[in-house]
Amino acid sequence: MNSAIELEGVGWSAGGKGFQLRDVSLRVPMGSIYGFLGPNGSGKTTTIRMFMGMMKPDRGRISVLGRTVPKEMKQILGRVGYVPERPHVYPSLTVREQIKVHSAHYDLWDQGWCNELVSRLHLDPSRKISRMSKGETGKLLLLLALSQRPELLVLDEPTDGLDPVVRRDVLTAVLDYVSEKNATVFISSHLVHELERICDWVGVMDGGRLVAELPMQSFKNGIKRLRVANAPEVPIEIPFTLLSRARDNGRGSIETWIVRDWEPPMRYYFDGVGATVRDVIDLDLEEGFVELLRSSRPQHTNGG
Amino acid sequence: MYKALLFLHWKQVRFALVPAVIASFGLPLLLVSGMGSPNGSPTASLQAYQIVSELNDFLYLFPALAAGIGAVLALSAWNWDHQFNHVYALSLPVTRFEYVLNKLLAGFTLALIPAAGLWLGAHVASLSVSLPVGLRTYPNQLAVRYLFALFLMYGLLFAFASGTKATTVKVLSGVVGLVVLGTLGNELLAGFFPYFADTHVLEAVMRTLVEAPGPFQVFTGNWALIDV
Repeated sequence: MNSAIELEGVGWSAGGKGFQLRDVSLRVPMGSIYGFLGPNGSGKTTTIRMFMGMMKPDRGRISVLGRTVPKEMKQILGRVGYVPERPHVYPSLTVREQIKVHSAHYDLWDQGWCNELVSRLHLDPSRKISRMSKGETGKLLLLLALSQRPELLVLDEPTDGLDPVVRRDVLTAVLDYVSEKNATVFISSHLVHELERICDWVGVMDGGRLVAELPMQSFKNGIKRLRVANAPEVPIEIPFTLLSRARDNGRGSIETWIVRDWEPPMRYYFDGVGATVRDVIDLDLEEGFVELLRSSRPQHTNGG
Repeated sequence: MYKALLFLHWKQVRFALVPAVIASFGLPLLLVSGMGSPNGSPTASLQAYQIVSELNDFLYLFPALAAGIGAVLALSAWNWDHQFNHVYALSLPVTRFEYVLNKLLAGFTLALIPAAGLWLGAHVASLSVSLPVGLRTYPNQLAVRYLFALFLMYGLLFAFASGTKATTVKVLSGVVGLVVLGTLGNELLAGFFPYFADTHVLEAVMRTLVEAPGPFQVFTGNWALIDV
């Protein structure tokens, strides 16, 4: 499968004890909707800026749509629609003027589609950007990105701070475009439930590291909470990934295990080591995400 | 892209450009107001001397105005980019060189407007004054000099303003450092070499920059609209 975005061992440091990207390797399959999850400050925007050519990595290799970053940035950006984390459009312009200025830079600009989006997203072309609400500005940014007819749409927290109606408008516009054009979408967010509905791949960032990258289906179905009786002290040759384990308070030998890549036949593993699985509990995406982050962070012991 | 960047720059600077054009147009008219006498007057040579010497007192206003307008144009060129951390520019499918070049050209184009204002004002001023024999007006030369001064100041500050705040601080620190070093160094050298007691290094550097064939000579050259 071809990759729309590929990062290999990308590292970057803000200098001193500042923020670092640590050996990030990710692969966004062509035609996928890739959700890029992570808490605030985890490195999502920095990673995006790396493959958008806005920042230079200290090490590693990046390619977007089969071309090398930053060497072939001009060719890449002509095929990429980008909605940044913070609005970057000029506040003194009207919507119409901003569209005119923006369209001048794109060969594939589709004015007919742009006009359609203006009415679909209920934008007033004569309205000054400085007088627009956050939701309207968000819709304008998406309109600019979509009207370029991009092969790859990069959305950095596109619905952050928007009300539910606008959020739905924005996501619907993205999905409509994807279904029509079969474009790839890279969408970052810390709103897990938002991505659950639309993404088919997910990458999770934390502390400047990519802690997981897997198909959404595996993420949704593969992370479970197990209640295990007589669990072995040191589990060996486990067929799944053990994210965390904790003894249940006041329940003797019962432990709670959070596991990844779980499949029902794996119950038999516990029989083989003299343990019993009492319950297998499905975690929703948000719980799974939280557990994934918890397991990826260094454990602190209390009481030294 | 050039047209788009020109439009953006115009939107950014238009309110400052209107008074700049009015000032450029009005300055030559202001300087010649109430001046001149009929040709062939017996006191023509005395009046000619008075006219030239009176004008000379105010000629610094032309380069000062050019420098001011050039600075406004340059700073406004990068204002929005700095405000948005250059994110918009960097997301466009253009090379950085193309972007900067087109932005620079857009500013040069806008600089033509006050220069045209001055050219027009200088011509109107020339027609409105009766000069004694021996004096002539130089509206075209003045306008060209004004345009070069505008371009020079705009280009210089455009390059300066294109950098980040850190770069600006570094450049300014460098300039201040050189001035301090030059002053202290001169004092120190004067103690050992008598030559440096009479020659100030910084003054020499300034002279090299502003006198022919220095790069800033356009500011210190002849700005006379009326001359022999």
